[in-house]
Amino acid sequence: MVTREDVENIALLSKLFVPEEELDGLTKSMQEIIDFADAINNAPASAEGFDCINNLSNVFREDEVVPSYPSEEILRNAPAQAEDHFLVRNRE
Amino acid sequence: MKYELVSGFETHIELQTKTKIFCGCTTQFGGEPNTHCCPVCIGLPGTLPVLNREVVRFAIKAGLAVHGEIASVAKMDRKNYCYPDLSKAYQISQLYAPLIIGGYVELSSGKKIRLHHIHIEEDAGKLIHRHGDTYVDYNRGGVPLIEIVSEPDIRSVDEAREYVEKLQQVMRYIGISDCRMQEGSMRCDVNVSVRPEGSETFGTRTEIKNMNSITNIVKAMEYEYDRQVDLIESGGKVVQETLRYDDVSGTTSSMRSKEDAHDYRYFRDPDLVTINIPREEVEALRAEMPELPADKCRRYIDALGIPEKDAQLLTKYRRISEFFDAAIEGVKSPKTVSNFIIGQMFRRAETESDKEQFDLPTTPQQLNALVKLLDSGKIRNNLAKATLEKMLDTGKPATDFISESDMGGVDDNALLALCKAAIEGNAKAVADFRGGKEKALKALVGNVMKNSRGKADAQAAEAKIKELLG
Repeated sequence: MVTREDVENIALLSKLFVPEEELDGLTKSMQEIIDFADAINNAPASAEGFDCINNLSNVFREDEVVPSYPSEEILRNAPAQAEDHFLVRNRE
Repeated sequence: MKYELVSGFETHIELQTKTKIFCGCTTQFGGEPNTHCCPVCIGLPGTLPVLNREVVRFAIKAGLAVHGEIASVAKMDRKNYCYPDLSKAYQISQLYAPLIIGGYVELSSGKKIRLHHIHIEEDAGKLIHRHGDTYVDYNRGGVPLIEIVSEPDIRSVDEAREYVEKLQQVMRYIGISDCRMQEGSMRCDVNVSVRPEGSETFGTRTEIKNMNSITNIVKAMEYEYDRQVDLIESGGKVVQETLRYDDVSGTTSSMRSKEDAHDYRYFRDPDLVTINIPREEVEALRAEMPELPADKCRRYIDALGIPEKDAQLLTKYRRISEFFDAAIEGVKSPKTVSNFIIGQMFRRAETESDKEQFDLPTTPQQLNALVKLLDSGKIRNNLAKATLEKMLDTGKPATDFISESDMGGVDDNALLALCKAAIEGNAKAVADFRGGKEKALKALVGNVMKNSRGKADAQAAEAKIKELLG
């Protein structure tokens, strides 16, 4: 069973802010997701059946350069940054 | 008791594609931090990686170069681990269905180091540890790699060295990587174990991570062999662990504690579809392959009469062998060309990167023209050698340094006169020769050469003198 506390924990780990009033709805959704995964686990199909996505194969890109993003954009979501680098603080 | 070294290699090679493996960011080395990045290669949620076609082509070429089997169906897997060099907390790699299966690298002894497989994967970002914190630059994150996994077939440091050199050579030949260990475009993880000589079972192995020079690989393997043998001899047991080699102290030390044993929880990456490789595509790529160094070397020895040692020197770097191939066009003796290249040109390409580029002022066509002058008897070897030095200094053709009179050679009448003069002026040498001293002939030929200022044909002069004294 997924609890409100599980959802709060997952949100914390994912660095997502979840308003109090959305917790119940998200708990229910999360339970449904887990149930769906369980349904897949119980399905008798061969491994091959799950192996391909819409039976697609050979989706490629050509080797052509497209412009990258400015480093300010790349670093915008970084929890911490310094000198154009992502900064991982050592907590020890 | 005597112990045998057993080693296998995992070799990472950065592919020289223009763009990263799953996005269009450039793979150019360096650049300001985090400027070769996009939402895909920094692993933002909701982004979709799409495989670069060229990566698959390059990997297939690598497979063909080492006689591997090209899989018909290949897939991408996620290798999960949590470390800041990978922002997604997983690396997209291949475990269950790699592109290349098997293959081998043949050493000069004829021994084959078998390969387990070759797979494609993304490189991780660069970490800089400073003031106790970690600075992350993802420019390298997502650069395509192939990982070449060998079987534990290596039995000595010499075999290890040759294995790495052969891989480096062949991957450079087919143009998929520059394989520069110092710059990190080729890196090796080295597995080492020891066992009593004659034993069939493997000992417990350790893995030395991220070796970036052949010298260090050799030193680290020697150290690790001694350490393991000492441990066993003193009643201890080798522990399976990952080691780091410190080239300053020349020792290995443990990188991770045992209890931190990795479980990568590999699973199929649902973002990436199956790769089907039609046989026609494999054949098309095979047709694009250049002559491989081992084949070239054999051809130089068998068809061109180049001594084995020289053939190896000529084929070690692709550019040098191409220079040689172009310079021998229509010459009488390819060995003469080889002697000029090895004897005189190598001195001007001292470093490894010089030899790799082999960008000297003299073109293969210019060397070819010089050798043809020699072939036609218009100039002598000494003059050719001196001329080549001048050509290499200036980039100018041979004819700029050889005058008409130099090239005139010596006609039969002049040669006869020179030989007669040599005989008349060197009574002692003549007497010695007639007395049975073959060597005295050299003095007479030397006299002819000197008086013709090196232009006479020494062999013709020798024959003529013999005839006159005969």
